[in-house]
Amino acid sequence: MRRTSQTARLIGAILGLIACATLAAGCSDLGAGGLEGPTQTAEASGGKASGDLAISNWPAYIDKETIPNFEQKTGISVDYTEDVNDNNEFFSKLQPTLAERDSAGRSIFVVTDWMAKKMHDLGYLQNFDKNAIPEVNKNMIPTLQHPSFDPERQFSAPWQAGMTGLVVNTAEAPDVTSINDLFEDPDLAGKVTVLSEMRDSIPLIMKADGIENPEDASEEDWLAAIDKLSGAIESGQIVGITGNSYINDMARGDVVAAIGWSGDAIQLQADNPDIKFVMPDEGCIIWADNMVIPVGAPNPDAAYAWMNYIYDPKNQAPIAAYNNYTTPVTGVKEIFEKSDPALAKSELIFPSEEYQKNCSTQPDPPRLQTANIEKAFEALRTGG
Amino acid sequence: MRAFAQRKGIPYFLLLPGLLWLFVFFVVPMGFMFGISLYEGSLDTTFEFTWNWDNYSDALTNYDTQFFRSFLYAGVATLLCLLLAYPLAYAIAFKAGKYRSVLLFLVVAPFFTTYLIRTYAWQTMLSNDSFVVDTMRSLGLVDTGVLKTPGAVIAGLTYNFLPFMILPIYASLEQIDKRLIEAGRDLYSSSRTAFRKITLPISMPGVIAGTLLTFIPAVGDYVNATFLGGPNQAMIGNVIQSQYLVTKDYPIAAALSFVMMAVIVALVLIYIKFAGSESLMGEERGL
Repeated sequence: MRRTSQTARLIGAILGLIACATLAAGCSDLGAGGLEGPTQTAEASGGKASGDLAISNWPAYIDKETIPNFEQKTGISVDYTEDVNDNNEFFSKLQPTLAERDSAGRSIFVVTDWMAKKMHDLGYLQNFDKNAIPEVNKNMIPTLQHPSFDPERQFSAPWQAGMTGLVVNTAEAPDVTSINDLFEDPDLAGKVTVLSEMRDSIPLIMKADGIENPEDASEEDWLAAIDKLSGAIESGQIVGITGNSYINDMARGDVVAAIGWSGDAIQLQADNPDIKFVMPDEGCIIWADNMVIPVGAPNPDAAYAWMNYIYDPKNQAPIAAYNNYTTPVTGVKEIFEKSDPALAKSELIFPSEEYQKNCSTQPDPPRLQTANIEKAFEALRTGG
Repeated sequence: MRAFAQRKGIPYFLLLPGLLWLFVFFVVPMGFMFGISLYEGSLDTTFEFTWNWDNYSDALTNYDTQFFRSFLYAGVATLLCLLLAYPLAYAIAFKAGKYRSVLLFLVVAPFFTTYLIRTYAWQTMLSNDSFVVDTMRSLGLVDTGVLKTPGAVIAGLTYNFLPFMILPIYASLEQIDKRLIEAGRDLYSSSRTAFRKITLPISMPGVIAGTLLTFIPAVGDYVNATFLGGPNQAMIGNVIQSQYLVTKDYPIAAALSFVMMAVIVALVLIYIKFAGSESLMGEERGL
């Protein structure tokens, strides 16, 4: 009996303390929203860049030689972290510090178009000092120079571009050519995944359902495509909504067809030569991952030195050869023609207009309904 | 008088570091989280503190499936752990002889590798072309695959939390005074009765501690469901993770965490009441 009353008193005391802390939390700011004031420009000092440069990029995006070569040439010491696995998760991890004008030590992030725009809108990015990046100005391929989210490339420079389409194990599923096959082919049941990047997966599903330009799609169109995906998950036809990890599922043979990224197929061929990137009948989604300079970046000079280095065709060539994504730098093809003619013909690194004829630029959902659509998509991931 | 006061103060003095630790790293964060659970808004606009209790009803109505699933999976895994752990702990405590320390080491050995890597290894083990699944298929146990089914997630939970069941049960069995059992046998009890009337009751504190140590973290686990399950096996931990990191709806995530905690506390209180708090506190040993 005595114990019970002691326990009750203890619980009461803890609840009281929690209530005090709650009141404190009620007065505190949750660190929401963006920064006030105009976007600043990351001024170059004009001197020679030096010191440390911390970069956040996606996994499997760089060859082994580029960083040591850059360090040797410039004397800058690079801390390169592959900690971007998903635009949303990366944003969530950095957002609280960015809201304090602190970039967590990084001077460059690599994020996809829509996330670059979102970060810029919130004031988390700095504009480039265009005089500091002559190589980028000179060597960027024309098709990437004026994207709608950053028409003058004021705050973003593509790291690589790419296509979202079908990644298929052609030995197990030779007939997959359309996004609809993923939904309808009973032989594929339980062996299909799609990407957790909503702006990749959902627009492809919409295209397969006859919406030619997903950029003009309405909220209903997005929700209808999400609904269709939901049905396929419930029936067990589609078994996963994944980030980069679908690569492992395919390498192990658990997944034979997926909505995936163009360069991944080439990396998978090392394990299984039957795995190929297949351009869907209804076209692909085109995107770019961009280098951006966050607010509070400690070393913009070094960031500019890195960008100039990457945009020199002879330095870009090994990166493109490694990851097989669309290179944003002109002159790489000429280098491959001499060194590796097969790569020079790759439709993934140098896609022709004909190859991409049905493709669309990665769209954003209608602005006011974005939160609603993202919520509906996220509910799929956790099986609502 | 002064010496007496000082002596009386000693227990409080000894409690101080622990209490301070709990206050700073448990009570304060809990309070903040409770506060966050009453905010309203989104990251793109702003969050405002409005005593928004709707977060709680939203959390419950929108995610009741995942709540139910979490408690179901954790319950089944705890039961399986108990069925596996008790005989094992019994064998180690009473029958292992000189191999006792080796066996105990083997129970703990998996902890030398991180939990993530071990769960990841299960993903490979349970993949479609693996030896394990091939064998199961030829025995007719499964049609196609094992990954992304409830069975895979429960198996992962069972595997990962098994040591937390074995160790407390072993500890309570190992302390049993064997003369009690001998005395029982001298009074003509069968060995089954001796187990039922002597060994089992004395080991109950271990069983209860083990089930709590397994069940509570298993309910909140999301690693097993992430690696071994698909969208239809998502547990409440996965929802909280995605609300925090993807949808960035911090208030709902905080409300979900609190609801989960409240349900766990309620279940544990009922369980202890039912099983008897004396056996948890081990008071019978004083008899």
